[in-house]
Amino acid sequence: MESLIQPVINGILLGGLYAIIALGLTTMFGIVKLVNLAHGDLMVLSSYLSLVVITQLGINPFWSMLMVIPIMFVIGFMLQKYLLNRVLGKEMEPPLLVAFGVSIIIQNLLLLVFSPDAQSLMTSISVKTIQLGNINLPILYLVNFFIGCSVVLFLRLFYNKTFLGRAIRAASDDEGAAQLMGVDTKNIFAIAMGIAMITAAIAGILIGMTFSFFPHTGAQYLIISFGVIIIGGLGSMKGALAGGIILAEAQLLGAHFTGPGYQLLIGYLVLLIVLAIRPQGLFGQAH
Amino acid sequence: MVRRPFKYRWYLLGFIFILLATVPIWGSDYVLLLGLLFCLYVALSQMWNLLTGYSGLLSLGQQAFIGFGGYTMAVTTNYYGINVWLSILTGGIFSVFLALFMSLFIFRMRGIFFAIGTWIFAEILLLWFSNWEFVKYGMGLFIKPPNPPSMQMIYYASLVMGVGSVAIVYLILRSKIGLGLMAMRDNEDVSQSMGVEIFRSKLFCFLVAAFITGATAGVLYVFQIFIQPYKAFAMDWTVSLVFIVIIGGIGTIEGPIVGTFIFILLNQYLSEYGHISLLLLGSIAIAIILVAPKGIMGTLQEKTGFEILSPRRL
Repeated sequence: MESLIQPVINGILLGGLYAIIALGLTTMFGIVKLVNLAHGDLMVLSSYLSLVVITQLGINPFWSMLMVIPIMFVIGFMLQKYLLNRVLGKEMEPPLLVAFGVSIIIQNLLLLVFSPDAQSLMTSISVKTIQLGNINLPILYLVNFFIGCSVVLFLRLFYNKTFLGRAIRAASDDEGAAQLMGVDTKNIFAIAMGIAMITAAIAGILIGMTFSFFPHTGAQYLIISFGVIIIGGLGSMKGALAGGIILAEAQLLGAHFTGPGYQLLIGYLVLLIVLAIRPQGLFGQAH
Repeated sequence: MVRRPFKYRWYLLGFIFILLATVPIWGSDYVLLLGLLFCLYVALSQMWNLLTGYSGLLSLGQQAFIGFGGYTMAVTTNYYGINVWLSILTGGIFSVFLALFMSLFIFRMRGIFFAIGTWIFAEILLLWFSNWEFVKYGMGLFIKPPNPPSMQMIYYASLVMGVGSVAIVYLILRSKIGLGLMAMRDNEDVSQSMGVEIFRSKLFCFLVAAFITGATAGVLYVFQIFIQPYKAFAMDWTVSLVFIVIIGGIGTIEGPIVGTFIFILLNQYLSEYGHISLLLLGSIAIAIILVAPKGIMGTLQEKTGFEILSPRRL
């Protein structure tokens, strides 16, 4: 029983990171009904941006957020305004395929500029742990969990309490009515994408500090995001946190019982079971 | 406007068929290789088009059938010494079993959930095969048939797959099931109330696509000699198929053929530039979706009524 405490705690902490990984994808689905297949690659792009900032300026990865977040906001805004908004319509496929194209372009640009070698963002806290009795708590995981939870809470407040957040929700609920009330919905969608990319930038930097990354890791994080939001429910922020923790627990407990080779496999199996039993997810609305 | 299919279409199709069938006689080894890739990609993209363009099943997991069909072929020839052609057929049949199993889960989902479901299945297979001792983990298998077929034989097998896939899609679309599928694509609820058996039609197309994709992968891997999970179950397969069908024209029979032709040519000319080729393919696909969402053949049909294989009966 004792030995189970460690993986369970690690799972909860990792779940916070998974939540913020999925956050951008789930908000964009909730607002624009857009499934951004380039989400994982955009996250890895921010990891690389942070790498450039760190090596150029010689600063801590946390400080690099100050530069990477505005850059990613602008990238997201432009992407939505000039590309994705033009193909939004009744059909699901065109935006999906455009995002797919963007994902291929980002991956190969990264391969071209950086090598296929693994990279990581080094910090002084990477290897430090806190000892609590028999349990080791990696500081980085604690930081990830804390940042993940605060971003989820912050976004919830933003969407419920601020004018801009309400405008975004209005544009998502009824585009025509929002337009009549003087909301420029296309612009609002672009801002929403920019916000989604802010979360992607934070997630990308946390991922870069926690794991190693290379140009093709985007797909892996996209699948994790899908896992999180399928378990939690598409478009739900509470769901992102719950889904993140459930997926991470499934993976880590799976690794604990069956060995690390099957870690991801167990995670996917849990996912499939949820998909089959409750396709709309734990916190999603049936449609 | 009454649209009539292109008048000399059977001559044109006959000409293309004879051209392809006689490649081993007139073509160099290089042309033969291109012809082989052309036929195989036509078969694979035709199946993705049948699912996404006609049945409303957006699949991002075609690599599941490619890898499963390829591995079944490799295992049956290597471990059980079964004849190559028979093992290719076995690969197709096993893919159908896989599709049946998958359908238990993913046919409860619609739209994007279905797409994610297929992709997750492909990822599960990738993990399973790269952790499975029986197929030598991620190291892959060299395919050593008891009596290896000649390049010509492999080429004709690919021709059968390519031409066969086009014929099967044409026949399905001209049948009662095809009529139902097109009604369903236009309006699912109305077509259902008119008696279209949506579930059965979709499942039928899913199984057909699984069989042909699996068997085509078998032919491909007989040619490539080496199969490895990270390549066989790679997302890159579906990426290529999506590009082919989008460029050629989704929801048309000619689209995947034209798209494959462009894809193979582009790949040959751009392959020396490495990653730039994928970069360009991605940009071209985005540009086409923005400018002509129906692709080359779809736009041509709309503007001029030019059609070679029409699924309509009028």
